[in-house]
Parts: sequence; structure tokens; C-alpha cells
Amino acid sequence: MNQPSKAVIEETRRKGVRRTVTVFGAIAIAIFLLSLLQGLKYS
Amino acid sequence: MAHDATHDHHDDHHGAPKNFFVRWCMSTNHKDIGTLYLVFSLLMFFIGGSFAMVIRAELFKPGLQLVQPYFFNEMTTMHALVMIFGAVMPAFVGLGNWMIPLMIGAPDMALPRMNNLSFWILPFAFALLLSTLFLPGGGPAGGWTMYPPLSLQGDSVAYLVFAVHLMGISSIMGAINIIATILNMRAPGMDLLKMPVFVWSWLITAFLLIAVMPVLAGAVTMLLTDKYFGTSFFNAAGGGDPVLFQHIFWFFGHPEVYIMILPAFGLVSEIIPTFARKPIFGYKAMVFAIASIAFLSFIVWAHHMFAVGLPLGGEIFFMYATMLIAVPTGVKVFNWVSTMWGGSMTFETPMLFAIAFVILFTIGGFSGLMLALAPADFQYHDTYFVVAHFHYVLVTGAIFAIIAATYYWLPKWTGHMYSETWGKIHFWNSVIWVNVLFFPQHFLGLAGMPRRIPDYNVAFANFNMISSIGGFLFGASQLIFVGVVLHCVFFSKKKAPDRVWEGAKGLEWTVPSPAPYHTFELPPVIHDDELAHGHIED
Repeated sequence: MNQPSKAVIEETRRKGVRRTVTVFGAIAIAIFLLSLLQGLKYS
Repeated sequence: MAHDATHDHHDDHHGAPKNFFVRWCMSTNHKDIGTLYLVFSLLMFFIGGSFAMVIRAELFKPGLQLVQPYFFNEMTTMHALVMIFGAVMPAFVGLGNWMIPLMIGAPDMALPRMNNLSFWILPFAFALLLSTLFLPGGGPAGGWTMYPPLSLQGDSVAYLVFAVHLMGISSIMGAINIIATILNMRAPGMDLLKMPVFVWSWLITAFLLIAVMPVLAGAVTMLLTDKYFGTSFFNAAGGGDPVLFQHIFWFFGHPEVYIMILPAFGLVSEIIPTFARKPIFGYKAMVFAIASIAFLSFIVWAHHMFAVGLPLGGEIFFMYATMLIAVPTGVKVFNWVSTMWGGSMTFETPMLFAIAFVILFTIGGFSGLMLALAPADFQYHDTYFVVAHFHYVLVTGAIFAIIAATYYWLPKWTGHMYSETWGKIHFWNSVIWVNVLFFPQHFLGLAGMPRRIPDYNVAFANFNMISSIGGFLFGASQLIFVGVVLHCVFFSKKKAPDRVWEGAKGLEWTVPSPAPYHTFELPPVIHDDELAHGHIED
């Protein structure tokens, strides 16, 4: 099996990691804000 | 051997930094950070355990013996917070840090510097939390659930909230790191459905963490503003609702329970096939069962609140939803048993702890089913039956799995074998005394002894004394564990082979023992027969 070069693998990984961190970081912040909003709504 | 041709052996061409401070405080190496997490977790296990000893000493006899009631309440609160956030969760993160990159053929975690930060937040968070015990007004004493208005009565709320925020930030960063690592750093050929069950369990756990830790952060932030900024989120006098806190807290709290047990499922799913010398029975079913449990964990939170006065329809929904969890959990238990069935089993220490896990966790699961019944819960609620239930799940479940995993991978980490004799002595002491400690608590609860009280009716005296004796001896037994680990790390002369256990499969066993400081800098070529789940058809 031909493996892609180390540089290609690293660049692919870097892009993927950046995307994953952005998406899940945004989700975490959104859930925090949503829980505060729920508190405001029901109190 | 396959790995000789495919895995580069130049991994340790640059080793660990010589400077102690640089190596341990500034490390970005997943193995070192994993070790830091595990050592921290062990320290917290003994601190939390010492709080438990105070509790059991006070409850040894009826009447107030040793400590004042407020201090007793501080002990119950801090014992839970330290064990949950300081011992169990960091232990799983430590095991994940050490093993996930090795299991998926990655050189390190995806975000090594964030990994360092995730760990180093924790000692400060716990220093802050534990320092409250020395404040003039005392530490938090309203229970780890922090229900208002009780939890707002002390002066340590700000410390507690800030400590919880720090722990939450650490957990979220750790979870993002694990997801990024698993989704992006796998070696070519390591398909998702070829990953070890432990890696799967951590991936699903990390999703849970990201979904619920911000909710806890939101809940404690509202507590903080209620206490210091005049808001009334949970203050009925100001138009708020204390029960709202319980809903928000348990929306975090119930998935949190699964955060503490799903990685344990993964660990046991690694250990049992190794010592049964058979692939795990129903690999895909195991993965989907973990995912199902994780999903269901979001829709069962109010079973912690049956006695609060929920609408009948709500009680019925949460009762049936909770009972539904028994289905995927049963799939897992039967699959572990089926994996052992007909296997060439041997009973080294990791396997003993794994088998004890299966049996004793199932007892905890069954008592959980009893608690899920809303009408029955009105009897059991806030009694020692609940204490017995969750300790069977968390001690003989989560902690036994962590201990099993430590024995399982210790030779890979250190390059030396631990003492099997002392490992077994540790096991038999643990398994006997943990049952002496927690089993009588079922009877106490059914007889009506409330939890979180420093004094009790003389009718409960005998079982409490038995439970306390079990507690002291279980606590002392864990010193054997420390001795076995220290001996293995510093004194053991018996070298560990690369593939430590005859039946072990997976990439982690293709690297030398001890695992070199850097591994898989070049992605390994994966051969399916090297993997535990390389030829999955079911």
C-alpha cells in the first residue's frame, strides 16, 4: 500500500484538527450560553 | 514479527528532557502528561479516601464520636468532589493520554500544548477547592450536588464555583483534544470500526463531556450570581425556582455518571479478550451499546428528582427511559461473558479485576434499576441504598477498571513486570473488603437510614460497624497497590516483553517495552491481524 508523504499527512492532520477544535469549541461555548439563557427564561 | 518490518525503531532518537522541571512541568508528550494525570489521580484518590475514612470512623458507632456535624458534611461534600473530579475523571484522561495515541498509531495527542494546560489547571483547581477546608467559615458542606439554597449558606461558594469552572475548562479542553486526536490522527488503515473499544468509549465520552460540562458551568455561574450579585435564578423569594437548579445540575450530572463508566467499559473490553484469548464478542454491538447508553444518558436526568414533586407523566417517562438503559448495558455484560465463554482463560491480576468489575458492576446496575422505579424510589430516595448503589458502580465499576488497566499496561509503561503475587493479594483484599464496606449499606438504606448524617438510630449500629471495618480495610488494601506500582517502577528486575500478555492484540503491543518517548512519528502500516478488531464481520 502506498502511503502519502509525511508532509501531506501532517498538513491533512493540521487542517482536520483546526476544524475539529473550532467546531467543538464553538459547541461548548454555545451550550454554556444556552444554559444561562434557559436559567433566565425560567426564573 | 509484523511490526519489525512496519514500525520504525528509531522512535527514541530524542528522548525525554533531562531537566526535571522542563520534563514534568512543560511537557507536551502524551506519555508524560498521561503519567502526570495518573499520579495526580492517585494522590486525589488517597485524599478523597482519607475523607471517606473520617466519614466511616464517625459512623462506626451511633452518636457523635469524632467530628462536628458541619465538618462531617464538609467531608461528604469534598469526598465526592475530589473522587469524581480529582480521582476518577483524571485517571481516565491519564489512561486516554497514554494509550489512545499508541492504540491508533498517532505520534502524540492532536494538541500537545493544550494537553499540558489541561493537566496543569487541575492542581490549582484542587488546591483552591481543598484550601476552603482551612477558611474561617469552612468549606462547602451542601453536598457535591450543590443544591441551593443550602449550598449558598457557606462563605466558600466563590472558591467552589471557581474550582468547578477550572475543572470544567480542563475537562472540555481534554475532550476536544481527544476528539481531535481520534478523528484526525489515526494511522492510515485504522478505520473507525477497527479502533479498540477503549478508543471508541473515549470518543463517545468526549462528546458527552463537551455536551454537559458547559451546562455545569452555567449552573454554578448562576449560583455565583445568586450568592453575590443579587440575581434570583434559584431564589423563590425573588421569583426563581430552586428546582430549576436540580434540573440543570442533573442534566449535567447523569451524563457525568456515564462519563465515569463508559471508559471503564472500554478498558474491560480490552482486558477480557486478552486473557480469554478470544476477540471481543460482538465488537459492533459493544460500540453501538456505548453510543446508545450515551444517548439515553441525556433523557433520564429527572430520575434523581422523583421525590421533588414532578408531574406524574414526567415520572413515568423518566422511569421507563431509565429502565431502557438496562438494554444496552445488558448487551455489554452478556458480550463480556460471551467473550470469556470457551476462551483459554488465565487469571492474572488485570483479568481478576476485570471479572470482579463485570460481576460487581452488574450488582450496581441492578440496584440502579430498583432506584429507577419511581414508586419504589420514594422509599429509597436519599437513603444508604443510593450510597450503596453508586459506590458499586463507581468503586467496583470505575475504580476497579482503572486498577485493572493500570496492572494491564504498567509493564508497557515501565518496561518491567509487577509482582503478580502482590497484585493478587491486592485484588483479594480489595474485592472482599469492598463488599464488606458497601453491601451492608443496601440493608441500611432499605431499613431507612438517610445518607449524609453523622449520627443515626441505634437500630443501624451493627451494619454501620461492619461497613466501617470494611472501609478501613479496603482503604488499607490500596496501600498494597501503591507498593506494587512503586516496586514495578523503581525496583522490579523482571523485564517486560513488547507483547506483555500472550493474548494481547493492538498497536500498543508492537512498540517496545517501555514504550519509547516518541512513538509512531511515521504512521505505521497497519496489518489487520495485528489489531484486536482487524477482521470484524459481525
